[in-house]
Amino acid sequence: MIGTTAGAAAMYQAMSSLGYAAESPYQGPIDLQGTPKGASVVVLGAGIAGMTAAYELRNAGYQVQVLEYNSRAGGRNWSLRGGDRYTELGGATQHCEFDEGLYINPGPWRLPYHHRGMLNYCKRLGVPLEAFVQVNYNAYLHSSRHFGGKPRRYREIKADYQGHVAELLAKATQQRALDASVSKEDQERLLESLREWGALDRDFAYVASDSTSARRGYQKHPGGGLTARPIPSEPVGLADILDSRLWQGIPAGDEIDMQTSLFQPVGGMGRVGEAFGRELGPLIHYNAKVIGIQQDPHGVTVSYEDTTKPGATLNARADWCLCTIPLPILAQIPMNVGPKLATAIGKVPYASAVKVGLQFKRRFWEEDDHIYGGISYTDLPIMNIGYPNTGYHSSGKGVLLGAYIWGRNAMEFTAMAPQDRVLKAVEYGSQVHPQYHKEFDNGVAVAWHRSPFTMGCFGMWTAEARAQYYDDLCRIDGRIALAGEHASYIPGWQEGAVTSALDAIGRLHQRAVAEGAKA
Amino acid sequence: MSLKRSAAPCLALVFLLGTTLAAADHPSSVNPTSNVVAGANGEAVYSHICQGCHMPGGQGAVGAGHYPKLASDPALVSWQYVATTVLGGRNGMPSFGTRANGEEIFGAATLSDQEVADVVNYVRSHFGNTYKEKVTVSQVAGLPHPGGPMNPASTVSH
Repeated sequence: MIGTTAGAAAMYQAMSSLGYAAESPYQGPIDLQGTPKGASVVVLGAGIAGMTAAYELRNAGYQVQVLEYNSRAGGRNWSLRGGDRYTELGGATQHCEFDEGLYINPGPWRLPYHHRGMLNYCKRLGVPLEAFVQVNYNAYLHSSRHFGGKPRRYREIKADYQGHVAELLAKATQQRALDASVSKEDQERLLESLREWGALDRDFAYVASDSTSARRGYQKHPGGGLTARPIPSEPVGLADILDSRLWQGIPAGDEIDMQTSLFQPVGGMGRVGEAFGRELGPLIHYNAKVIGIQQDPHGVTVSYEDTTKPGATLNARADWCLCTIPLPILAQIPMNVGPKLATAIGKVPYASAVKVGLQFKRRFWEEDDHIYGGISYTDLPIMNIGYPNTGYHSSGKGVLLGAYIWGRNAMEFTAMAPQDRVLKAVEYGSQVHPQYHKEFDNGVAVAWHRSPFTMGCFGMWTAEARAQYYDDLCRIDGRIALAGEHASYIPGWQEGAVTSALDAIGRLHQRAVAEGAKA
Repeated sequence: MSLKRSAAPCLALVFLLGTTLAAADHPSSVNPTSNVVAGANGEAVYSHICQGCHMPGGQGAVGAGHYPKLASDPALVSWQYVATTVLGGRNGMPSFGTRANGEEIFGAATLSDQEVADVVNYVRSHFGNTYKEKVTVSQVAGLPHPGGPMNPASTVSH
């Protein structure tokens, strides 16, 4: 009987099937009760989805084994630190030479406050969090073709854009252009709010003043003593802002996934995968390359090779299989599933993305530029420069995310040798921070299409593909269920991996309980 | 970046990747200094894009899965097979064809029909492949493109 024992799982499934919720559907730990004695699951992949599933299934009394291709737990949840080696597809090996305590996260790097599934596992696994800075008002917006190629501060562009728009709207109001849509009374309130929102003066003009400089920064900041008198700064003209397109960077923190607060694990995102790996211990078989998945009426047999001892085929057998293998790889593994699932597996191309970590001899972005954490945006191919949201004000070396690239730029970076990606990131980044050339120390570059364990960054769904194949991808086929960010409406986010894993094991559990009742 | 102009599934990607300047809406303006592929020949397309996965020399690569080797590959006998794969993608491989419905997919890279023809001719005449016949831009234009009809009559046999 399924009865009430699977109630939580069923409810969870119903909630998550609504899909596309603005916030994560995670509602608390899953409650799997009534596990049949001796029931077993083989989990493929020790990334966030696989380890979420393995952790919960083990706690529910299943016999669990996990097969993982890498020699470490975490999958894309991963931090590269000094002493680490990484060999990409094609054979190039990088030795990370960062100083003690410094790292980059080649994959995910931030946890929105409402990704409650991820946050909950961090808490249960004892992974401490700290703030991730999404919007830093003193970081840069940079156009290589405007303002002489010099970066502008986010606060300048935001204050000036907002101020000019407020002034225009105030003028339109005063010139009675809004009479048809805004009542007389509301026009007064609107004007009052525009003055406050845009830091306008008493005549509703956006001009150099104490109040505008308090937002965009002064030419000379107020201080103490005889040299204290501040000098207001001159706003950038509206036409220059519009022409430069730097306004595109203003809403960087406005979407719900980017709104304050965000978090990062202390010591690197990889701490989550490492903690899961410790928790699951001997349940995970590392260096296991899956080469076949065959189900029959009684269970699933997964054949695999130990990549440290090639030549022999090993088998893992269980009642059920939860498969989190990224789709480009899964599409190449012989597997006896129905045509709908088999088709769906081949319909999700994976996005290209590249991250470059650069170590510098000193934290010049803090010491010279007063940028503490956050992100600068540029129209150069490196697209983003991410500053470390930790270790502020420390002396010694520091590591920047020197590039976070996707789309065609990422493909072009992927096609380069790793050391060339690093050199290119230094070359482009020096247009934003001229200190790069003098201070550069060493770097590592991860191109996700060269990742041996994913062959891409994340599942890139189109609307048509979702409509045609998504449900088929997520439905249980016999004794096999898929999970991972690719089986979610939160592609590329770890919360998609967590919620898809919980959804899938909830449904597998119902079947296991039903089968156990028949037996 | 204008979220309003993105289709719904793209929103999630925009959320994921954060906002950057000019990225999604103006792909041609993203990259003022490395726009090497525009109007370039098949070799440039291959070395700047394809070799990211298929590797220099078309050797392919093996990890948990594999990227097909293109060197001395008998499957390349069919130019239609190669061109259709470049245009529409295959399994995890993204599509590179210009979308028939004009839709821009966030994070996707697009090649013109001329670039597709050039790179198809390049791989079929390099890396130990010696197919003489050249595909033309109009032949590429006649093949199915992403965002177009799913199974047009001109579908390839191989």
